[in-house]
Parts: sequence; structure tokens; C-alpha cells
Amino acid sequence: MKHIVAKEVGSLLSRCTAPTRVSYASRHFKSSAIPRQQPRRQFHSTPALDVVKPYLLADIGEGITECQVIQWFVQPGARVEQFDPICEVQSDKASVEITSRFDGVIKKLYYEQDDMAKVGKPLVDIDIQSDISPEDEALLNDNDSKVPPLRPTPTGGEEAGLEVDRLDTKGAAGDAPPPPPPQTLPPKPETTSTPSEPKAPRTLGKHASLATPAVRHLTKELNIQIEDIEGTGKEGRVTKEDVQKYAAAQKETPTTTKSSTPAAPEPQAEDQVRPLTPIQKGMFKQMTRSLSIPHFLYTDNVDFTSLSSLRKRLNASKEKSQKLSALPFVVKAVSLALSKHPLLNSHLDTSNAEKPQMVVKAQHNIGIAIDSPSGLLVPVVKNVQSLSIEAISAEIGRLGALARSGKLTNADLSGASFTLSNIGSIGGTAVAPVIVSPQVAILGVGRARVVPAFGKDGELVKKEEAVFSWSADHRVVDGAAAARCAEDVRSYLENVESMLVQMK
Amino acid sequence: MAPSRGMRQLQQASHKLLASGGRRGGHRGITSLAQTISNPIQSYISESNDPYLNLSIEHYLLQKSPPDSTILFLYTNRPCVVIGRNQNPWLEVNLGILKAGSSTPAREDGQPVIGNVDLVRRRSGGGTVFHDEGNVNWSVICPPADFTRDKHAEMVVRALRKLGIDRARVNERHDIVLDQGNRSGRSDPQDTHRTPYTVDDGAGPRPLKVSGSAYKLTRNRALHHGTCLLRSPNLVTIPQYLHSPAKPYLKARGVESVSSPVANIGLSNQAFQKQVQEEFARMYSGVPAANGVDQSLLSTPEISKGYDELRTLDWTYSQTPQFTLSSHPELDEDPQVLVHGRSDTSPVPWFHPKIPVIFKVQHGAIVDVESSTMSAQNLEVLSTLKDQKIQELEKLTYELEREGDENSTMIRPVANWLEAMLPIVDVALSKD
Repeated sequence: MKHIVAKEVGSLLSRCTAPTRVSYASRHFKSSAIPRQQPRRQFHSTPALDVVKPYLLADIGEGITECQVIQWFVQPGARVEQFDPICEVQSDKASVEITSRFDGVIKKLYYEQDDMAKVGKPLVDIDIQSDISPEDEALLNDNDSKVPPLRPTPTGGEEAGLEVDRLDTKGAAGDAPPPPPPQTLPPKPETTSTPSEPKAPRTLGKHASLATPAVRHLTKELNIQIEDIEGTGKEGRVTKEDVQKYAAAQKETPTTTKSSTPAAPEPQAEDQVRPLTPIQKGMFKQMTRSLSIPHFLYTDNVDFTSLSSLRKRLNASKEKSQKLSALPFVVKAVSLALSKHPLLNSHLDTSNAEKPQMVVKAQHNIGIAIDSPSGLLVPVVKNVQSLSIEAISAEIGRLGALARSGKLTNADLSGASFTLSNIGSIGGTAVAPVIVSPQVAILGVGRARVVPAFGKDGELVKKEEAVFSWSADHRVVDGAAAARCAEDVRSYLENVESMLVQMK
Repeated sequence: MAPSRGMRQLQQASHKLLASGGRRGGHRGITSLAQTISNPIQSYISESNDPYLNLSIEHYLLQKSPPDSTILFLYTNRPCVVIGRNQNPWLEVNLGILKAGSSTPAREDGQPVIGNVDLVRRRSGGGTVFHDEGNVNWSVICPPADFTRDKHAEMVVRALRKLGIDRARVNERHDIVLDQGNRSGRSDPQDTHRTPYTVDDGAGPRPLKVSGSAYKLTRNRALHHGTCLLRSPNLVTIPQYLHSPAKPYLKARGVESVSSPVANIGLSNQAFQKQVQEEFARMYSGVPAANGVDQSLLSTPEISKGYDELRTLDWTYSQTPQFTLSSHPELDEDPQVLVHGRSDTSPVPWFHPKIPVIFKVQHGAIVDVESSTMSAQNLEVLSTLKDQKIQELEKLTYELEREGDENSTMIRPVANWLEAMLPIVDVALSKD
């Protein structure tokens, strides 16, 4: 079952107010005559503290890594309200409207129309200006570590998510912590100032009327206690300016009160808080599911000597791009073995807890775990049972190229009935691969190494060996079944001619 | 039948019909969605075959229905070619034959005469399809939390199977296909992705496509719509419309259609519609009897605005993503263009430029003219065409000629060639 994760529209939206429409020709979706769906909210009249954040293109699911920007509904300088559409993107069959989570002003567009926008990378920069809901606060604070000031590098990695790019001069220099006033908190290094977090809710409750959420958010960031600030706004409210002034005043004290600056000047390597990339998120979800599977591990050495010499002979007459690696041979051998042991090519359907069942898959769709620039991807070679080794090799090459350029489609990434992890291309000997549910088995292939061995007459010979590590779901596959399948694969690869007589 | 006499007459007529308590087409007809749009479960069926109207109604349902509601909408269109939101009509469609006979009156048996076919750009993604009265379109709008790409395709497959079409299944691209292999008996009847006729290895006959899907996803709604080829009389003609002779000369971004062999299922529209509605009712509780909708919905301003927008040349043509038109693609540096290959059967017009020239088109207008061999002076002349929308080229050329502009003699053949490569089918004309 494929799911489109419904977070695709945490996106930006900009409502186009009259002045910003001018240069955008005829591409507005809404015309001004259509009545607004939401009443316009008041924006604060306080001067904007430039809290500009890069807003990332949310994961739109289906393993999609990039999509085309069809239409912008905003341009830099445009005011947006929460839920206003920012742009429309297109990926294969789906056109998706990206909306804004916040009210604010668009500062920068990262793409032009028709460009391919990358998922997980910044889409626009937005200056968040008005009320931020508690969920949004959590989202914003998520990535600014619960640790205030000693901030990680401003635009360190795009993966750092909604990061505060502190453009205000006070903020930039504000990495040195403003020491808390002596009567409230004892001076302590920033990394342990988390206690200020639990205090925040109390502050919120008590002083809710003294400041707007945006201002409260700012005080949390600057690690200032709101009670300490004199409010100059209406009814004694604390405004952004007040916070700014207070922070500035605080900064001057470190130079005078030496005792309250514990480890200030020492530059330290800082922890970087990173949200998960879309691929990591996918892995997280998948592996959490795999936690419930009791893995039965079976490891074996496979003699690659004869296979290697066969490959050398075959490749001598081939173009560089056509050369066969060991991988397609292994894939074919696995498929032949699966024909004899179809149980390992099944899906375990536990959707009905009372009645678990096995769906023995007729097609051998073998997923090959590939390391791509963006992380682990598992494109699927379909119908291996009816492909020749050369065809398998070509298909692996094709999928690998797509993976490297980030162009794998959902169809390429789904439908696997068995997975093969070629960790040996990087290194490793024996591994304990994790089964991808709902599959019931997986094979990890380590690196082929030359080892000394004994020949027929006891003489020392060189042997090329790779370690094959199998994992099987012990709820439905017993040791003997897995072992027999593994033995078949081994004998196919150690005597490649035996594969010949099985080929269709 | 001359409905273009005025919407008003039609509206008045339908109001009268309703007032007199008459039923239309067996469904309770409504003239406005105001009463039903906020219901948690809604079911509609269109009594109009105007593609622009049906898409506008569908879009209104998407925009205005409550986030937690689920809606089924069935509609059938008169012959038209429908391209995806971000596609290039010159690349996907043989516009030359859409336009060639646009002044020919319709035949009585409803067969599309070359030309009496509308060109429509829809708001969802995906590829190009041909609609006619033998094809029923189904559309489901639901909350994103419940949405998967297969969910409602599976619903339609269940409906088809209950009508005896046991070869139907959902494939990996979320399309509905009819398996063509021999019966092998190995299939779980509940599995909508597999039939007893499914052939696993590539050796067997390819399944035939009977339904394609497209999606539009907004912040809190998910729309999935698809076609269903039941009894189209035009199966043989469809490929003609969907292969563009300009293809070898165009290099474009955007989504390209994936071509598949198609087939008719062989059911009546009524039987299919009824069964789909039943399947929908089985999946969700509280599904009401379907409401019939038609042109009277144009009294709702948003629907009318959307309707008008879909029919503008700007929406249909200028929404095309950036592309280049090259008179001599084989000379272009990027070898990728050779992949399309030149079809030797399509004749090159006599006014095909002798000197290689490349036009870059963005937002439906020429933004650049390039030629490695043309003289600078001539290029200068050609750059008069810059910033002109494709639909305005003819007018511009005509005006230049009328004014006796000396450059018009050079521009005219180029404009003719552009018109041949990038024809514009006037949308307004095809509205009957």
C-alpha cells in the first residue's frame, strides 16, 4: 500500500495583495474578485525583527526527491497568511499545492518557475512576523536546540531545517550568552540552561497578557526572562523592541562582570541538531516496523574464485560500461534459489492480527540496497526470474544512475519481494541485515577477499571468498528452510555452470 | 441544438423543470451546491458533457468542501483531448488535426469529425488523455489522512469485477489495466492488483490500459480522478490525436505522457456508474443518492470564474513550461534530442527554415531566438517576435504586413513555420 504522507502541504502560501501582483502577469490562480476565505489578520506594527527562516519543501511522500515548480503564487516582499498557497509543484501524476504554515513576508524564492525543487531543501525564505501557534513554536524550536544562544552555524546545512538566520546584528553577536541577572539564575554554562525550558510554560501562563507569542518566542531564544523586561507597549506589554534593548543591555555586562561569564570566550565545537532527512525518515519508519521481526541470522562463506575468473574472461571482450560485476550473478543465483524455495520470496501479511498469512509472490522483485548521495535507497529490479544476467546488470546500472541523480520514481522503489544489500561494495565481512517488512528474508553480501586455503593435495592456494549473511523472519521461516536456500545460492555461485541448466 | 444561444435560457429552462418537480436523467438535479457542499459524504453525477464545466465543478468541490468530507463525482465529456496541468500541448497533441476541421459541423452519430474536438488543460497532474462519450470519468475527493494513490482505483476495480470484468486490476502506476494472459487460476479474488490472467514474466501479452489516473493535492484535500474506457467508438483514432508531429523539434521540461495500448471494457455507462456508486457506498457510510449537476451550476460565481479561466488561451497554452523549438534538432549540441528521432513519415513543410534556428519559449511566449549561422542582422529582425505570446504571433505578423513593414517579408515565412509547429486551436470556437 502506498501512502502519500499528508505533510506535503505544510508549505508556504502567500496571499497576493494588490501591490505585489503587478509584475506577475497573468498567472494568479485567484482573482481579486473572489472573496477571501479567511478574514485578514492584523499584523503587528512593531518594527520587524528580521527572523528570517528558510522554509523547506516538505516531504511529499512516495519516495519522491524532487518535483517541478509549476507556478508561484508569491514573490519576494509578498505578505502571506497562514494557509495561503505559496506555489504549486508537479511530480509525475500529482500536482500539489504547497501552503504556508505561518504569517509573514516572503523574502526570497529559491527556484524559478519550471525548475526542479528538491524535497527537504529550502523553498523560500520567510520572515515570520505574527502570531506563532504553540505547535509552530515547537516546530521552530525543534531545530534550535533546546539550548539557547551558543547557536549552531546559521545556515550550516539546509538539513538543519527551520533555522534562525539571525540577521539582526545583536543576534549575530549574541552567541555569547547574556548572563542572567544575578537574583534569578546562577551563572552556568549554556549547555545546561535547559531548566529555562520548563520555566517557560509558567511564564506563558503568568504573563500571557504581557507579550504576544512572537515576542515570547524571541525571549526564549535569547534566554531572557520576560519578567525582567520593562514593557513599553500598550498596557505594559513587552514589545520586540523592548526585548532587543534588554538583550543589548545584557550583552554589555559580560565585559564588566567577569564572574558571570563562565566559559564564554572559549570557542567550542557545537552540537548540531538535525532533523531527519526524508530518506532518514523513511528508514526510521521502516526500521521501526522491522523491530518487531525476530531475525534469524545465517552466515556463510561463498567461494568467488571460479565466478571471478569467469567474469574476467567475459569482461575481456566487453566495453567498460557493459562489464559485469559479481552483483548480477548473485541476483540471478538468488532468484533461481527462490524458485526452489518460494517461501522466502513472500510477504507476511499481519494486517489481521488474528489471521496472519503469507502471500507467496510469483514475481521475483529483488530490491538492491544502494548507497546514494542522499542516503540509503532500495530500487527494485523487477521480474528477475525472467531476466538474463546481462539484462539484470543493465537494469542495475540504470537504477543506479537514477539513484545518483535523484530521479528514482515510486515505481522503481516499491514492490520488492526480497532485498539484497550489497554492503560489500563499501566493505564489511559479516553483517546482520535488517529485513524490510513485509518481506521475510534479506541477504547481505560482504566484500570478496582473497584468503589462503588448502587445495586438493593439501597445497596452499589462493581463494576469493565473500561472506553471505542471510536474515530470515523466524516467525514464518525456519532455520532449515533458510539454510537450504542459502546453500543453493552458494552452489550456484561456486559452480556457475549449474545456473546455466536452470535458466529459462 | 444551439446552447450557445445563452446560458440564461438553459438556466431558466432547468429552473422550470425543477420547479415542476421533474427528474432529470434519473437523478435528483440541483442547481447549486450550496445545500450539499458541507455534507460529510457527497455523491454527484454530471448531466453535462462540457469538459470545461465538469472540470470546473470538480475543482469547486475540491476547494469548497469541508476538509473531512469525501465526495464522488462522475462525469462524461464530449470528444476532447485533456492535457495535464504542466504539460506541453504542442508536444503531446497533434493540434494540427484538432484545428484543421474546426469549422466542420458535428456528425449525427456523435463520431468526432476531425476538428470538433476540444483541447482542455486540467488542473491535476499526469498525462494526456482522449475523452469521449464512451469514457466515464470518476473523481474522488477525500481528506489527505485517508488518501493513498491506489485506494479509489481499487474501488473502481472492485466495481468492474462485480460487473463481470475479472481481468481488471490496478497496476504499479495506479492505472487500471485488463490482463491479457491465459487464465492460470492463481489469484486471490480480494487482491485488486492481480487477476487469474496476470502474466508475471515479460513474455506474455501486455495488459491493456482502460483507466489512467491523476492527482491534485492541496493542504487539506486530496483529489484522485481517472478515466474509464467503456465503449469508445474512437479507439483507433485516439493515437492520431496523441502523437504530435512537432515532437522531434521540441525539447521540453515537464511531465511527458507514458504511452500505453488501450482497450474498451465493453460496459454501458449506466451500469458502470451505478456500480461505482454502489462500491463507494460500500466503502463509506451515509452515502446519499447521487445529485445530478449541470450548467445551472454556472450561477455560482467561483464555478463560473474557473470555467472561464479554463477556456482562455492563456491557461491552455501559456501555462506550458519552458521549451525550445529547433528547426534542425540533429544539429543541436545536446544529443538527447535525438532520442525522439525524426519521424520520416511526417513531411517537412516547404517553408521549414533552411538556416538552423532555435526558439526558446517560456510562459507561452518567445523569449529568445538563437542561431549559430544566421546573420546578426536577420536575427535582429527575428527578435521582433520576442515577448510575443504564441497565440499573438499571427496577429502581429498580419499587422506588420498591413503596415508595410519591410521586415514582414522575412517574418512571414517564419511565422508560418511557427504556426505549423505550434498551432493554436482557438478554445472559444470549439464551445458548441
